[in-house]
Parts: sequence; structure tokens; C-alpha cells
Amino acid sequence: MIELIGVNKIYNQGRANEVHALHGIDFSAEKGEIICLQGASGSGKSTLLSIIGCIFGPTSGRAIIGAKALSRLPDRFLTLHRRETIGFIFQQFNLISGLRVLDNVALPLLPLGISPGERKKRAMVLLERFNLSHRADFRADQISGGEMQRVAIARALVNDQPIILADEPTAHLDTALSHDFMTIIAGLKETGKTIIIASHDELVSTHRAIDRIIAIRDGRLHVS
Amino acid sequence: MKFTGIERQLNILDYALHSLARRPGRHLSITFIFALVIFLVASFQMVTASLKHSADVLLKTAPEITVQKMVAGRQVMMRVGDMARVGKVFGIKEIYPRVWGYHFAARNGANYTIIGLDPARQRQLPPYLDGVKMPLAPGEAIVGLPLAKLLDLGGRRVFSLARGDLSLKSFRLAGTFPAASDILTGDLLVTNIADARDLLGMKADEITDICVSVANPAEVRTIAGKISRVMPGTRVLTRDQIRKTYQAVFSWRSGFGSICLLTALAAFFILAWDRASGLSAGERRETAILKVLGWQTTDIITLRFWEGGAVATMAFLLGVMAAWLHVTIGAAALFRPVLMGWSVLRPNLELVPVTRVSDFIIVFTFTVLPYLAATVIPAWHSATVPPDAAVR
Ligand SMILES: Nc1ncnc2c1ncn2[C@@H]1O[C@H](COP(=O)(O)OP(=O)(O)O)[C@@H](O)[C@H]1O
Ligand SMILES: [Mg+2]
Repeated sequence: MIELIGVNKIYNQGRANEVHALHGIDFSAEKGEIICLQGASGSGKSTLLSIIGCIFGPTSGRAIIGAKALSRLPDRFLTLHRRETIGFIFQQFNLISGLRVLDNVALPLLPLGISPGERKKRAMVLLERFNLSHRADFRADQISGGEMQRVAIARALVNDQPIILADEPTAHLDTALSHDFMTIIAGLKETGKTIIIASHDELVSTHRAIDRIIAIRDGRLHVS
Repeated sequence: MKFTGIERQLNILDYALHSLARRPGRHLSITFIFALVIFLVASFQMVTASLKHSADVLLKTAPEITVQKMVAGRQVMMRVGDMARVGKVFGIKEIYPRVWGYHFAARNGANYTIIGLDPARQRQLPPYLDGVKMPLAPGEAIVGLPLAKLLDLGGRRVFSLARGDLSLKSFRLAGTFPAASDILTGDLLVTNIADARDLLGMKADEITDICVSVANPAEVRTIAGKISRVMPGTRVLTRDQIRKTYQAVFSWRSGFGSICLLTALAAFFILAWDRASGLSAGERRETAILKVLGWQTTDIITLRFWEGGAVATMAFLLGVMAAWLHVTIGAAALFRPVLMGWSVLRPNLELVPVTRVSDFIIVFTFTVLPYLAATVIPAWHSATVPPDAAVR
């Protein structure tokens, strides 16, 4: 499902502010695996997720995501591939405030040319699954933090992509809500999705849903 | 892949409209300012077009050559007999007299322009008129609509004006000039040459102008030169000269107006560009989120295009409608001093605008298109940046 071979990422290459964020990363993940990517702040977790998430290609090395090699794909095709393959859950939830909860969940469906009726149907199915149907017409900034987190998960699932990436999803949640989050992730196991969670939260790495922990330090992987 | 292009566009349009509704304050203010700019440009364009149109009509009916006698730099009367000397010039097709002057109506403090035409020349008028029987019978007159209103005729066809000695001269209304020519005919009364002389207190063989038409239009200037030689002390005006004088005054004024407006327009686009390129943190975050969620750069540009397009369409409709009201009902009050200062017009004159599609296209081209460019290009710049900032 995911295979990285000798991946390097250098930001601002050749300039004074050059940062070598990833060094020779070799990594692979199978379909249905739930992986925790552990590391201190600045170790390169987000950068690695960006490459796996088809936001940008590696500076060098091979990255094969969902059976497609990323290197040198132009932005347009990265985006096409991303929206078919990757669902994102952000640290800040990154909902669009002012937009209704329902519309936030349906956001990834808009550029696919899916009709409003169909969008609503698909979004409502997910909202019901996460006990949010009573919030469908609320504005995204009028719901609680735990609800926002569930809306963000619903949005990551709405296009039914095979890979889900979450970057520090529990950083802004209290223990109870973090626990709820991991319970939902565990519940996704049966759907066969490949899930990678970048986090330095103990509650995440020690959760029973996690199949494998990968540690990253200064841009290098340390497999435990 | 099942991309139905139209559905996608509609979805993005739908999102754009909602996003406008989410930030009404921001968009309303720019819409309002933009509408104001369009209002000014469109009003100006419509007034200019009306004036140009009127000028064209005026020039079409003007004689090819007009001869006027000058004494001490002022125009004085000539005699019918003076026409004979002009008639000796070779190449002339027709010579006819014209009488004109101003009539002061003490009753309402207004000056009317009186023109007396040779009965044989009255067929010159038809560009203005339908359904008036020519030539006019003695005592008949055609007046401009505003003047007709001023005379307060009600349903009557007969009215009288005071001669210089305060005795009354009565006229029968043969017709009115159509509203579209108001700018030229608003204060105008056209009658037979004899009746005009009578009203204006001129002697029976006095005339104001000698009008000349030539056999070969290419010779107008040569013939005009010959006329000034056989009649020293006259001013010989060709239609071309009138047109040029007219255009010089007119284009100086409209040029001045255009420069003011272009400055306003440029200032507005700088403002729009500035706002679009200095996208708020919120908007940049939104762009990044949408991109991560699978929106293409082109989708983001489409989104901003629809947003800008909605603002521009609203502003365009508002501005053009306001301009139309301004020019029709408001009689172009704002531009009157700039564009019509040279003309002897009644303040209550209704300007009937010439609304041509091409004028709206011009206004559209110079307002809406640059606005879209000023909003979409910066959005395009911001949309090509990788959206990874949203992920962390
Ligand atoms: N867009 C960028 N431009 C330059 N440097 C960056 C950029 N993003 C991240 N970095 C740098 O790359 C390194 C790894 O960052 P990141 O992947 O965000 O780590 P983490 O998510 O583990 O905190 C850091 O040193 C960070 O400063
Ligand atoms: Mg990070």
C-alpha cells in the first residue's frame, strides 16, 4: 500500500535556509495496518506524512503510494491521486468555520462534481455513524472540540480513500476525548484502511488499535 | 474517473456564493466601492454617447457652408440681396437664407432659441420629425418638448409670444421635436423665416446667415475660400470647421473627465489587487485546506473567479442601473457642469440617454475584466504554493 525507499526531503534546497528534514527513509505499510509514527517536535513527522499524503514528492528516493510512484509527478496529478487515495485528519481539525458541519464533511466531494443531493446523503451517513446528525446544520465553530474532532474524521472518510493520515490528532484534546478518538480509529480497523497517526502522545502509541510503532528522530527512522 | 465538468463548476460556484455570504462585511464594502466606480464610468460613457449622438445629428442637418457678417468682431444682420454676391461663386448648388436669434420670455425668465427657415429648406428638418406637414404654414411652429412644457400649453395648439414692443404674436403648434433630440432642441422654436423675423423684430429682408450647399463635396474648402474673397468682412464656416471646434471643446472636456475617471479606476484596481494579494490568514488557510482535501489549483482559481465574478456582477448591475437613473431621471447632474458647460441648456432639460450595447461592453471591459484579473491572479499565486502548512 505504501512503500518508501531511500526517501530524502530537503526544504529550500540550495538556499541559506536549507533544511534536510528526512534522511534516507525506508518504510512500508500494508493494507489494513494501523501505525503510530512517534517523534519529538521537529523530528520530521509532518514532513513524512506530507510525502505519504501526496502533498509533495520526495527530493530524492522513491515513494510508491497506493500503487503509484510519486517522484516527479506534477502538482495536478499529485492532487488527483491524493483525493482518491488519502484522507487527512489535521491537528487543528482545520474545519472551515462559518460553513455548516454537513458542508464541511462534504468538502472533498465538491471538486469531484458530485451533486448536492448525493453529497448530503454521503455526509449524513457519516454524521450518523459518529452521532453528529443533530449537529449537521450547525456552523463548524459552534460545536464542541470533541464534535469537531469527529467531524474531521468524517471528512477524512467521506470519499472512502484507502489511506488515512492523522497528524497529532489528540494534541488539542483532553484524555477522555483522546480516548474516544482512538476508539473510533480502532473501529475503522474492520474497514481495512491503512492508518498512520503521527503523535508523541502515550495514549495513542500504547492503544490496542496500534499494530506497529515507528520512531523518527532528526529525520531518521528507528524501527522498534 | 467520473468528472462531470458542469457539476463541478456548479459545486464550486455554490461554494463561492456561500463563502461570500459567510463574509458579508468584507465583500459588501468592496462591492459598494466597485459599484460606485462603475456608476461613474457608465454615467460618463452614457452622457458622452448621448452628446456625440446629438452632435452627429446636428452636423448632419447643418449646411455645408454658413456665411455670417462680422462687424467689430460681432455678428450683424445681412440683407437678402447679399445672397446674390455669393451666388456668383462657381460650384454652388443652392443658397438659402436663415434667421435665428434668442427670445427672452420674461414670464419664466428663460431664453428660447428661435430659428426661421426658408419654406423651401424645411425638408432639412425630417431627421427630427415624424408626422409634421412640411413646409409649415404661416404662423406654424415646431418646438422642443421641454419648451412645450414651459409654455404650459395643456391641450391647446395655439400660444403667443411677446414681440420686443410687447405686442403678442401667436403661433400654432405644428408638432414637437422628439425627446431624443432634447439636447439640441430643448429650447428651440422653428418657424417660417418671415414669422421669425416678425417675432425677433427684424426687418423684412434681414437675414442672419447665408447657407450654402455645394455641388461637389470635395470642393467645400475651395468654395469657402472663394466666398470670403468675394465677400470681405464675413465669417465663412464649413461644416468641418464646426465639427472640429465642437470636437475640440467636447474632447477636451471628455478627455478631462476620462482622466479623472481613469485615476479613480486605477486606484480601485490597486485596492482590489492589494486586498487579493494580501489574502487574510484565514483565506490562505482555507486555500491550503481545500488543496489538501483534493481541490486542484484550477478549482481554487475557479472559486476565487466566481467570488470575484459575483462581486463584479453585483457591482456592475448596481452601478449601471444607478448610472442609467442618474442620466435619465437625474439628468446627469454630476457630469452636467463638466460636459455641458458650453451649451445653453435649461436646467430642467431631460437628457434621453443613448443606451447602446457597445457602451455597456466598453464599461464591462474596463471595469469587470480588470477587477477579475486583480483578484484572480493573486489567488492563483497563493494557490500554487504547496498546502503542507495546513497539515501541521
Ligand atoms: N515548509 C518548510 N520549510 C522549511 N523547513 C521546514 C518546513 N516544514 C518543516 N520544516 C523543518 O523540517 C523539520 C521537520 O519538521 P516537521 O516535519 O514539521 O516535524 P514534526 O512534524 O515532527 O514536528 C523541522 O526542522 C522544520 O523546521
Ligand atoms: Mg508536525
